[in-house]
Order: sequence, then C-alpha cells, then structure tokens
Amino acid sequence: MSIVTDKNNLIQEIQASFVQAGFGKDLRRQKVWDMFLTNGLPGPKTEEYKFLPVTRVLEKLILTGKDNTAGKISSDSSTGIIKNLNSNVVAFVNGKFSQERSIMLDTELKIQQGAVEETVTNTDPFALLNQAFAHEEVQITIGNTKTLQHPVAIVYYFDSSQFSFANPRWRCTIGAHSIVSLMECVVSEPDAIYFNNKQSVIEVGENAQLEYTMIQNGPMTDVQINNSLVHLSSSARASCFTFTFDGQLVRNNLTLTVDGEGVDAHLYGLYLLSKNTIADNHTVVDHKKPNSCSNELYKGVMSENSRGVFNGKIYVRPHAQKTNAFQSNRNIILSDTATVNTKPQLEIWADDVKCSHGCTTGQLDEEALFYLRSRGLSKDIAKGMLLYAFAAETFATMKNETIRTFIDGLVSEKLQNNF
Amino acid sequence: MLTIKNLHAKIEEKQILNGVNLVVKAGEVHAIMGPNGSGKSTLASVLSGREDYEVTQGEVAYLGKNLLEMPPEARAREGVFMAFQYPVEIPGVSTINFMKTALNKIREHRGQPTLDAVAFLQLMKEKMKLVEMDQALLNRSLNEGFSGGEKKRNEIFQMAMLEPTLAILDETDSGLDIDALRIVASGVNKLRNKDNAVILVTHYQRLLEYIIPDYVHVLYKGKIVKSGTRDLALELEAKGYDWIKTEVALA
Repeated sequence: MSIVTDKNNLIQEIQASFVQAGFGKDLRRQKVWDMFLTNGLPGPKTEEYKFLPVTRVLEKLILTGKDNTAGKISSDSSTGIIKNLNSNVVAFVNGKFSQERSIMLDTELKIQQGAVEETVTNTDPFALLNQAFAHEEVQITIGNTKTLQHPVAIVYYFDSSQFSFANPRWRCTIGAHSIVSLMECVVSEPDAIYFNNKQSVIEVGENAQLEYTMIQNGPMTDVQINNSLVHLSSSARASCFTFTFDGQLVRNNLTLTVDGEGVDAHLYGLYLLSKNTIADNHTVVDHKKPNSCSNELYKGVMSENSRGVFNGKIYVRPHAQKTNAFQSNRNIILSDTATVNTKPQLEIWADDVKCSHGCTTGQLDEEALFYLRSRGLSKDIAKGMLLYAFAAETFATMKNETIRTFIDGLVSEKLQNNF
Repeated sequence: MLTIKNLHAKIEEKQILNGVNLVVKAGEVHAIMGPNGSGKSTLASVLSGREDYEVTQGEVAYLGKNLLEMPPEARAREGVFMAFQYPVEIPGVSTINFMKTALNKIREHRGQPTLDAVAFLQLMKEKMKLVEMDQALLNRSLNEGFSGGEKKRNEIFQMAMLEPTLAILDETDSGLDIDALRIVASGVNKLRNKDNAVILVTHYQRLLEYIIPDYVHVLYKGKIVKSGTRDLALELEAKGYDWIKTEVALA
C-alpha cells in the first residue's frame, strides 16, 4: 500500500489555525508565513530531511489524530523529571510561556517576555513556522561575571486535552565570564499529543562557560523539532549534550557558531532508540575565527524498528586558521529491522587546520559478549554492561552531578528494559 | 570430574575434533599439547561454550551433568573457568566492576551470600598479590591498553577470584616473557588443590617446567593420539612432533 502524501491539506490545516489565531493581521507574521508557503514542507527528496518522514508524521498527527485523551498533569511546578534538582524553571505550557509555572531561584537571572524579532534568516520550514506562530520570545539574561548557583531548566509542559501545536521560542544571553548550566525537557502525560517546534538561541559571552543538556525522554507520542543555535564569543567554553531516549519523531538541529578565538566547544549526543522511534540529529559547527577547537561525539544504539540519523557538518571558514575540529559518530544496531543513516560533511576553506571525522556502524561485539558470559554473567547482563560502557562515554564529562546522575540512571534503566 | 567421550566438533563445515576421549579427576593437572592446527584451542573453546563451534557427536560430562547443554554463563557458575589465549579488551568496563558482578553471580549460584564493596576489595587485594598485579590496572577498563603479560596475569587474577573447580588455560604461556611466565605459573600453582583440576593447553614444554602436569596428552588431527606422564613432554621438546605424526600414519 502506498501512502499518498497530501501536503496541501496539511498546509491548509496549518493555515486555518494561523488565520484563526488572528496572526494574518500581523504584517511580520504574514511575511514569514508567505515565505513558508513558498518553500512548503519537506518532501522525501528534500536533502536536509531525506531520512526523516516528518511531513507524513505531521499529517497523521494534525489531520487525523487531533483528539487528545491525555488528562491534566499535576500542577506541581517542580521540573517534574529530575528529583533533587533544585533549578530555576522557565516554563512553557502548551507552547506558551507561563510566568506562573516558572521558578526563579537565582537573583542574577532575568526573564522577560518580548516580541518575536524579525532576525531569523533561516529558511528552514520549521524555523519559519516557529517564527510565524510563536506567541513571544522569552529573553533569559545572565549578566557579566555571574555564576548561577542552580541550573536553568527550560520545561515544556503539555497538559491540554487538545492536540497542541507548540512553538516555544527563547533566547538566552550569557554575559562575559559567567558560568551557566542549562537543561531542556518535556513534561507530559504518557499519551499527550503535541508537536513541539522549538527555536532557541544561546549567546555565550567572552570567557563564559555553558553546559547545555537536552533530555528527550518524552512519551512515545512525542513529536518535536528543535532548532537550537549556540553562538560562542572569544574564549568561551561550551559543552552541549543531547540525549534522545523515546518518542515518535525527534529532530535536533544543533548549530554552534564559533565566532571568536580560543573557543573550546564540545558536542555530545546519545540516542538509545527502540520501538518505532525516529531520531535525527543534524549538527553544524561553524568555525568563523582562528585558534579554536571543537570536538563532537555522537553515539547511538538502535533496536526493534527504530531509525537513527546523524548528519554532522563542520565548516572551517577561510580566516579560521589553526582550527582543530574533530567529529565521531558510532552506532550499534541490535535488530535486523533497525536502521541508521550517518553522514559526515566537512567543508574546509582554511589550509592550516586539523580536522578529522569518523563513523562506524556495527553490532555488539560477540567476542566481548562471550568473554563476559564465560565469567558467569548472563547474556542480558553482559549485553547491558557492554552497551552501558558504550553509552557512558557521552556523559562522563558532564559537570552538573545531579543531571549526570539522572542521565546515568536513565541510561541504565533503558538498557535493561528495552534492549 | 570431567569425562569427554568421542567428542566431534566443527566450525563452519570444517571438522576439527574427530573423537576426543579424556578423563580428568579432581586434583589432577592435564597438559594438552600438539602441533599447530591440531584442535587444541577448539577443544578449549568447546568446553567453555563458545557458540561458533558445533558439536556433531560425543558427550562431555562435568560433575555428572551434561556440560554441552549449558550456556557459557551456566558453565562458569558451575565452576568451569577458561583463561583466554587472547583476552578481549573492553573499553568502559572496569575489571573491578566486572569482577564484582561476576563473583556475586557465581556466589549466588553456589548459595553463598554476595560480597559488599568492602569485603570484595579485601578479597581482591589478597588475590592481586598472587599474580603481583597493581590495583591501578584493575581500576582501568578491562584489558584496554594492557601488555600481553598484563592481560595473562589478569586472567589468572580472575581465576583466583572465581575459584573454579575446573580451569582451562588456553595457551596462557604464549606471548609471555620469563618473568611473567614465572608469575603466572606460581599463581596457578598456589590455586591448585585436591578438589580442583587444571587443563593446560600449550605448544611448548616451557610452561610445564613451572606447572608440573600429572598427565600429558598429544592432540593431533582432532584426536588424542598419545598420552603419558611429564616425560612425554620432555621427549616432545627434544624430538618435535614428527615422530608422532609418523606413528599415527603407520597405525
């Protein structure tokens, strides 16, 4: 049976909600919307979405699956997922910023609601949709020379009984010499139906340090697209962690712009996929200035019918001499029906640089498995031990201990139950 | 303890064992020697449960149980231990963590209480001395970046920890210098007692100068063609294997 893609119906449906919300009266929104209409939604031949049937999934979601049976989630305004994590919370409820659910622990942190500016030149269809639909842009500001005592958790709550098309949008500005830990997650009922189309920008000032952790452990119905941009000034240090555990379809566009010298950037990713989950990580590291280094390590374990996609772009611009840029993607496939598509993409214009990339896809090492079993470990325990060792490398360097312990526990639990 | 009867085994349609018979009793050390490709390592692999090999005929009884029916972990829990010829490097898994899990699985199986971290460390420190092993090595990923000698010492350390009833040492002497060989052999000797048994698979007489076997068997073309005492090993060292090949050809 072939699936007929009726993009036009889907776009009409989205347009109806655009009109219904009265967004058409806003010239800025209308302009963005027109731009979206010109490009349309990605089809199977769109290079950037080649392995991600996003339009098909959205059709099913928006045209046929609108009834949401999920009840209200408790109004407990803690972060909801990490115990003992005392954190500032920037809350979005069904895509809208909620002052009520947000928590400010650190006085150095300022949160303001602002209008969406017309600055995005990104023509990605989902970036455009976010720009057309976002209710506001939440500005998170941390001044110069501040060390936040608590992490900042950006939490997307979904508690509507209706399907939510959410377009949260925020910008975080970290002043020079400041130290911040940011994390991001969805909190919802197990059967909540939503499409979270996020756009965020983090500006890391000179000599500032950022630890940024995205935890995607949503319900199996989770559909999300994340456009995350990180802009790094001179001598800034950033470690970004992206963990995808469950969901229906997750797409992460993580772009790091190295716009200063002496920058030290690390990107780690881990996707442990089971059932029919599709997770697609597109990363870009754009070296615009000389004397910086970036290091990227993404790892994946795919079981059952899951699909993983990795695309890693590294640009080294003509001026960015003495750049060190490394990338590695490693995958383990545990079933005959799981797949992974991986593609490194390096574009280097400077001539005095050190760059490398590597990707591997394989099965679990049978020889190692036998070795562990020959010492009395059951096949399942041995398998879990090997997979854990494989996965643990992606979060070993995380500085926030509470978040790291949480991830550690989550990884162990997933590997025991689903793989 | 172990009775092997008419054992035939193959790997990917290649027949390697062609009717091995062997009886090992508690307290004994048996050396299995033989030229390259005679099936020595295959025998060790079949006994430890490697799944690449298919047993086509024969039986193996271990303490009255059918060994061939057990998965590798069940054999280990029943007291069978194999020291690997090529110990695997496993990044991210520390020897300590892995040994603690393994030992407690085996203790559970034996109906012994599991060891807590303190008791485990105490036992570990005691056993480390047997093979003159440094704890720093055990904190590292299993065998990762270990020298050949360190890997083999780690095998004997694990043997000391798990206290097997039947230990199979697959070419443990290969790749060892004299000092490491002495350390490994003395470790094995200290672990010998009247209740356990050792099968040494080896190419050379050298190891047998340190671990004195009760019996020496020559495996050739997948069969044990000659058995004797330690003197047989000395004779092989002096004369090589050719005279045995001739004997087999004539028989």
